[in-house]
Amino acid sequence: MPIDRRLLFYINWPLLGVAIILFLLGVLNLYSASGFRTEDAMSVAPYFNKQLLWGLMGFFCMIIFMFFDYRHLKTMAWPLFWTTVLLLFAVFFAGKTIYGAKRWLDLGFMNFQPSELAKIAVLIVGARILSKEREPLDFIRLAYVLGVGLILGGLVIKQPDLGSGLSIIMILGGMILFRGVTARVFKTCIVAIPCLLPLSWFFLHEYQKRRILTFLDPTTDPLGAGYHIIQSEIAIGSGGFWGKGFLEGTQSQLRFLPERHTDFAVAVFGEEWGFAGTMILLSLFCFFLYQMVIIARDARGLFGSYLAVGVFFYFFWQILINTGMVLGLMPVVGIPLPFISYGGSATLVNFCLVGLVLNVSMRRFLFKQ
Amino acid sequence: MSDLYNQSDQQPPRAGLILLQTLIMVVFCLFSVRLWYLQIHQGEVYARKAKENQLRQVAIFSPRGLIRDRNGDLLAVNEPAYALGLVREDCPDIDKTLHQVAMWTGLEFTDLKALYNKHRRRVKPFEQLILIPDLSFSQLALIDANKLRWPGLEIQVRPRRQYRHGMLLAHILGYVADANEKEMEQRPELDLGDYVGKQGIEYMLEDRMRGAKGLSQFEVDVNGRRLQERVLKHPRAGHEISLSIDLGLQKLAMDWLSEEAGGVAVMDADTGQLWALATAPSYDSNDFSSGLSEEQWAALRDNPLHPMQNRVIQSVYPPGSVFKHIIAGAGLHYDMLDPKETVHCAGQIKLGRRVFRCWRKGGHGKVDLEKALVQSCDVYFYKMGKKLTVDRMSEFAQAVGFGKLTEIRLPHEKAGLMPTRAWKRKRFGEGWQGGDNLNMAIGQGFTLVTPLQVARFFAGVLNGGKLLKPLLLKDEKTVVQAEIPLTPEKLALLKNALIQTVDNDRGTCRRLRTKGISVGGKTGTAQVVRLTDELKELKDDQIPYKFRDHAWMAAIAEHEGKRFAIAVLVEHGLHGSSGAGPIVKAVIDYLFLGKVRVKPEAKKAKARAARLLSLKPLKPLKPVKPVNPVNPVEATDAN
Repeated sequence: MPIDRRLLFYINWPLLGVAIILFLLGVLNLYSASGFRTEDAMSVAPYFNKQLLWGLMGFFCMIIFMFFDYRHLKTMAWPLFWTTVLLLFAVFFAGKTIYGAKRWLDLGFMNFQPSELAKIAVLIVGARILSKEREPLDFIRLAYVLGVGLILGGLVIKQPDLGSGLSIIMILGGMILFRGVTARVFKTCIVAIPCLLPLSWFFLHEYQKRRILTFLDPTTDPLGAGYHIIQSEIAIGSGGFWGKGFLEGTQSQLRFLPERHTDFAVAVFGEEWGFAGTMILLSLFCFFLYQMVIIARDARGLFGSYLAVGVFFYFFWQILINTGMVLGLMPVVGIPLPFISYGGSATLVNFCLVGLVLNVSMRRFLFKQ
Repeated sequence: MSDLYNQSDQQPPRAGLILLQTLIMVVFCLFSVRLWYLQIHQGEVYARKAKENQLRQVAIFSPRGLIRDRNGDLLAVNEPAYALGLVREDCPDIDKTLHQVAMWTGLEFTDLKALYNKHRRRVKPFEQLILIPDLSFSQLALIDANKLRWPGLEIQVRPRRQYRHGMLLAHILGYVADANEKEMEQRPELDLGDYVGKQGIEYMLEDRMRGAKGLSQFEVDVNGRRLQERVLKHPRAGHEISLSIDLGLQKLAMDWLSEEAGGVAVMDADTGQLWALATAPSYDSNDFSSGLSEEQWAALRDNPLHPMQNRVIQSVYPPGSVFKHIIAGAGLHYDMLDPKETVHCAGQIKLGRRVFRCWRKGGHGKVDLEKALVQSCDVYFYKMGKKLTVDRMSEFAQAVGFGKLTEIRLPHEKAGLMPTRAWKRKRFGEGWQGGDNLNMAIGQGFTLVTPLQVARFFAGVLNGGKLLKPLLLKDEKTVVQAEIPLTPEKLALLKNALIQTVDNDRGTCRRLRTKGISVGGKTGTAQVVRLTDELKELKDDQIPYKFRDHAWMAAIAEHEGKRFAIAVLVEHGLHGSSGAGPIVKAVIDYLFLGKVRVKPEAKKAKARAARLLSLKPLKPLKPVKPVNPVNPVEATDAN
């Protein structure tokens, strides 16, 4: 497919730039996080070069996601949805069990997580449904949209993968909020949700309950789940204003910090680069998110806007939950920080979705042709 | 394619866009504040926590000072002991780990858990809680091979005190054991599991011998593995101690005391240094330093001969005739005695209705001071006592160190007892009787002395009147505590009488004669119980052990500038000459001739048999009278 040279001009370059900077910061941080001091010197686990490789693949996927006109996705939304549902079912029967959870499909050359696909599917289907009309959602439409989200989210939660399942529902929830709901729906939700939330307690696994309790008082379990929070706070806090310097973080180098290359990667960053570093990182993330708001605002057509909003929430929730957890503001949930945490398929999906919003942004002036 | 663009004029909802921007703002503000709080406001707190997390400090044990005898032979050394410690912060599952330890060592899990619970509050974070203080080599090998799979378990090498001659010197060296709470409070440098001296020299010279622990700092990773160890403070070894004790002499004395209960003190009359300080029965210091078992402790505690008692400084005995030299000294000091004046001994004298007998039924006839001392005439001293009375006798005896601590550097010394009128009134509520004077004059009655006090007095007689502080360390300066208040001429009379007691054919210490050596001595027999008529008729070796008299001998010996005073007490040894004499003779032969006399096996067997006799008395007997009876015993003094 030939590509219009002007399309390249309309690409949201700041978004692309900040995504790459974030990714490179992540790789740099991973180098430090995967290194550890041994009796004689330093040794580095192979996480960071793997991450670079995934990043390159992601970059390639991103370009693919920019090439085709995103509006074709509108027609592909439902087939994509059903395919995803099918794959999620397939996981139940043919999935690979790792760490006690069936989340992977063995494709021969790689392990594939249909829950990642579900995240993409939900925002495309959501965009398709929500962009159809403009007025706020009433009960029936809300139920329809939520129903679609709950099918995907529920199947993922059953794997069990509470983190991904909830983020699927939350992506859709964010998009619903963007569209808006009627006053009656809003009032009902304001009353109903706080009432229903305690009920969900009974559906949680024992370890999930414990995490929430531990979050409320980390000292009750200083060597278990509370250990993560305590060590993470110590790591970040001990960074001070300027940080301890690259590769100088003692918490992480001496492996006090658990999950330091995945969920707690930003704690390593905070320890080594200090308040100055974390503020820059936070600003970069906010800038990254803001660029997506701009894309949503300027998109040509509501479908594009909703796609951008979906991607916005995809990143927003992860940033909020992961950083909140690392800073001790939220319970420990296994959700990575985009670009900073190690993770192959997550990196791939991140770049794909950046590609998707870039796709929206570069085609915003097409009607002027 | 056209339907793809049919919504081109639709704008995204404004409220939605505002919502998104608000969310970004909220996240930015929330996280900025939190980061500011963690990294700036609380930054230093967390920095300190991070340091504590990663840097651990452990003590480097300092070797305790060695103890040698006067010739450099090692008496107390340090050997490595392997302890199993648990760092609870590194241990993921305490119960599981304790179960494993229980399996390795054969101990009960519940015991280990109880130990853990007892100590865990006292152990600082990241420090070892000692589970097993002393691993055997097979346990050590087993645990060391598997330790890596059990994070939190660490093997600690600590010096453990080892006594080369645990039985020979237990009462001098004492022992070390784990510091208790009170000791740790007094000495802040002590930690749980540290050894401190509990008895003897180990206790008295604790500060000199302990040294100072060093400090090592190392980084640890999350599994508690040590990386980059660095010594912050080098340990300082404890000072080495050289005792004045001669190991060979001590060994000899202990050999001669074997199967007996008693004590030997050998003092250098010029320096006050003790060459031997033996007490029997003894115990093994090593049993205490490696942790005494309940049974071992019970055996020591319930032993009727009280092995823990240091008989040379902690047991008090009536001095018997040995005390006659002090009475003679008092008489000379107060000029109430003319050495040439004679007294007639008819074998007994009367005081009121009571009869006081001399040990020699027929009497000694005409007796002057020297003869009275050499032949140990009781009647002479009865008269002396009547003349001097308790006031002078007691005053003089206290002036020459009786009834007072010798200040030897050992804990729990006893002062003995030098009675006065006031003391008796207070103690018994009755006044001093005339008969009390007579009994006191021959060393019976209320007077109680330690063998060390006796040795010190006779050293003073030998060295020209200086009462020396008994010393246990080779490099200690001689301390003159007092002077015997006698002119050299008067002192010479006493010393001469001592020598005559050996040299004269009627002397009671004839068995001490040693060719070429100037030796003097005095025997003594201290009554334990008033002998009933039935007992009196018994032959010596038929008297039950516990009713037999204590045997005393004090001696002086001098040759080529070497001067020694020796005091020997053998509990229930019957007669000074035969009970204590051979021991003194063996000591003199060792000191001056370098000869080691071994106690004949027959004698040991006899002593053993004697002790067993006490278990089955021949006839039912009157209960044992106390050592210092309320009513003065009828005086009889053998020898």
